[in-house]
Amino acid sequence: MLDGTLLLRRQTVPGWLRGACYTGGLVFGLGLSAVLLVSMGIAPSDLFQEFVIQTFMTYQGLGQTVTAATPLVLVGLGTALAMRVRFWNIGIEGQLWCGAMAATWVAINDIGPESLRIPLMMAAAMIAGLLWIAIPLILKLWWSVSEVISTLLLGSIAFFWVQHMLFGAWRDTTTGFATSPSFDAAERLSLLGWEQVHGGIWIALTAVLVCTWLTGVSRLGLQAKAVGENMRAAKAAGLPVLTTIAVFVLGSGALCGLAGAVITAGTEYRLSQSLGQGYLFSGIVVAFLARANPLAVLVVAFALGGITTTGGVLKVFYGVSEAVVLMAQGIVLLSVLAAQLFADYRLSERRLA
Amino acid sequence: MTHRSLNDASPTPQQTGAGEAPALLLKGIDKAFDGKVALSKAGFRLAWGEVHALVGENGAGKSTIMNVATGVYGPDAGEIIVDGRDVPLRSPGDAVDAGIGMVHQHFRLVGRFTVAENVALALHGAGRRVTLAEAARLVSEKSAELGFGLDPNAVIGRISVAEQQRAEIVKVLLLGARILILDEPTAVLTGDEARALLTLVRQLSRSGHAVALITHKLQEVSDHCDRITVMRQGCTVMDAVAMEETPVDTIIREAFGEVREAPRRQMAAPGAELLRIDHLSLTQDTPVLDDVSLCLRAGEILGIAGVGGNGQSELVACLNGVLRPDSGRIALSGEDLAKASPAHRRRAGLRIIPADRFDSAMARGLTLAENLALTGLADGRFGPWWRLSRRKMKQAAAKSLTAFNVLGGTPSTPAALLSGGNAQKVLLARELAAGTKVVVAHSPARGLDLRSARAVQDLLAEAVADGAACLLISEDLDEIMRMCSAVSVLNRGRLSAPLTGSDLTPNRLGELMVGHA
Repeated sequence: MLDGTLLLRRQTVPGWLRGACYTGGLVFGLGLSAVLLVSMGIAPSDLFQEFVIQTFMTYQGLGQTVTAATPLVLVGLGTALAMRVRFWNIGIEGQLWCGAMAATWVAINDIGPESLRIPLMMAAAMIAGLLWIAIPLILKLWWSVSEVISTLLLGSIAFFWVQHMLFGAWRDTTTGFATSPSFDAAERLSLLGWEQVHGGIWIALTAVLVCTWLTGVSRLGLQAKAVGENMRAAKAAGLPVLTTIAVFVLGSGALCGLAGAVITAGTEYRLSQSLGQGYLFSGIVVAFLARANPLAVLVVAFALGGITTTGGVLKVFYGVSEAVVLMAQGIVLLSVLAAQLFADYRLSERRLA
Repeated sequence: MTHRSLNDASPTPQQTGAGEAPALLLKGIDKAFDGKVALSKAGFRLAWGEVHALVGENGAGKSTIMNVATGVYGPDAGEIIVDGRDVPLRSPGDAVDAGIGMVHQHFRLVGRFTVAENVALALHGAGRRVTLAEAARLVSEKSAELGFGLDPNAVIGRISVAEQQRAEIVKVLLLGARILILDEPTAVLTGDEARALLTLVRQLSRSGHAVALITHKLQEVSDHCDRITVMRQGCTVMDAVAMEETPVDTIIREAFGEVREAPRRQMAAPGAELLRIDHLSLTQDTPVLDDVSLCLRAGEILGIAGVGGNGQSELVACLNGVLRPDSGRIALSGEDLAKASPAHRRRAGLRIIPADRFDSAMARGLTLAENLALTGLADGRFGPWWRLSRRKMKQAAAKSLTAFNVLGGTPSTPAALLSGGNAQKVLLARELAAGTKVVVAHSPARGLDLRSARAVQDLLAEAVADGAACLLISEDLDEIMRMCSAVSVLNRGRLSAPLTGSDLTPNRLGELMVGHA
């Protein structure tokens, strides 16, 4: 038994071991999720067919996966940027709602010429997300208010604001439903001709490149690393700590706002009460699994997009509830995080004379 | 376990009869952490009724072997025998049951609890349910017995460090400890408090306890200990030798190797005034800095002696711009810096070596190249803002590491993996780079082995010889006396006038350090 064994912290962790533990955790988490689903009455062969073949290996399924992954990349990057300077953005959905509202405002009021409508919607969404996260940022920097509380609560406020608009000024008069009027053609991201995959994918890929440059190449990237590792040391070394934190946190809000615009203009074509649900949890999962690395965010968001797609199918055709899909995501996250233990520590047998 | 009271015990050190089993016997202890050997066939023999010194440089294995004795670490091999019985110490609780208690350097007390609450908590942990009233009574009795005058209802966070230590000792004794291990107990005490503690330790040993004293202060060892064990590089090199048979220079040689005794530094004639502090005051609840003024010239090392916690950290924080003083002026070559940002101060040539380098100077998770580059990012020497050159950073770091003789790391090594002495050298390499006018060094050699300490002190002296000035804030009088030509004392936030020449004696400094200014 484990009685008589010790955990010893490794002095250095080789790269292959970290990779092996990560993969091991991922496989274990997926396996456990599979066991959960099988126990709910889904045949293993169906599960394999839906998750592996349909989701990742068919033209149609892959298209759905990429579509689902596009906003996940953006919220994942957003969370990762804030994580780099130890700012816990738990208000991803709030900034996303604000971005979606800003894009909708530009669209239904026909702001600017049609040729510039989409860029304007995206810019408005980024500014809205940025402003929404600026509130907790200022509260934290000036009065040390915990951002965990302020971002989370501002998320709810943003959602109530969306409801206020949808049940009021923006209610679609033609249908009477609590959604905004549907967008014109010029206000929609163009389809690529592959299922529902839309131009948002270029926005997401550009964001990955910009974030990779920001964190890995620019001077700000090293400053952010120093701030994240030891803020007092960064301050004493004369680094512009406030500027660094502000750039990364505001960037986080802007990316989450952009995600809101990409969802509204790319797949929904209108503002609804449901389009932003679940992105808080997914953003955190993506950023943690990617260890706040922008390129890894791309990979993890794609994988999570697959789980979302499969989840949708399971929900519709197998009667599995939304909660079970979220549980599967949570199981994968916890497994990977727990597996890190085996990279950082070694098990040693305790020999007592 | 029978417990002998201090009062009825006859003061006979001869209780240590030859036939009696030793209080604590550690034999052939091996301990490695992930392949890194910390102890190799190390041993420790502690007899009943003695005060036993455990000496060795940092990293020699003193703390590790005491952690084995208190059940914190399981040894890889070896025997642990307590009072003649083979005792498997599988947890700290086992050690408490065996009557072994340790007074750590950082006390294991809850700051918001009272003394009695802390004792009650510890007793509960050991399976003895007592009410708070009972705990308070136990504390009062034990405290009276030891002559402590401790208030059981005093909150730990509001009493002095010396009183906290007394509370810790009372707690450990109430847990039934008859074997006491004290880890550098006098490091945090004033001279009078330290003497009182060492007297108490002697009393305890007379009443039959066994006491092990981990210390760096050789004066304490020769004045207050019966036997000594010296450790070096994980091995026991002097095993329980009687003090009267051992000259101090033998101990120094065994523990620290041959160390060149540095002559007291010859100071060049001081040059232009570089740093001037006028009437600096800071109040946080109580006055922390009270009208502090000083003047520092090029080529000069001014020492600030004094027991820690008398305003030293706050003075350093005011100098590096982390704390804003309530009033006063800090001028560097005539320019007022009291309201300047840390970056501005650095550009002006003010460099800080803080007491805890990983708290406020370097980041463990950053590589050495990154840590070294932090202060040079702004001027673009590692590339423009949009493109940082990792290659340039590594080249510059490799040069610094060679120049400052940093061992055990390349530019790509995370700073966390360096030993204390080498990490300190990396920090010096960064802070003593071009443009240094004034170096403020707060206990720069604390926690380093003697050889690294000398290397660090030499580097500071070289910078001063090259025209900089140094403010050396230290609790180590040896260091201060060796490095400085003028020394002020910081006591309760007030800075004395500097002592120089024949006035500068350890005795005079000692008086200023304990004096109620």
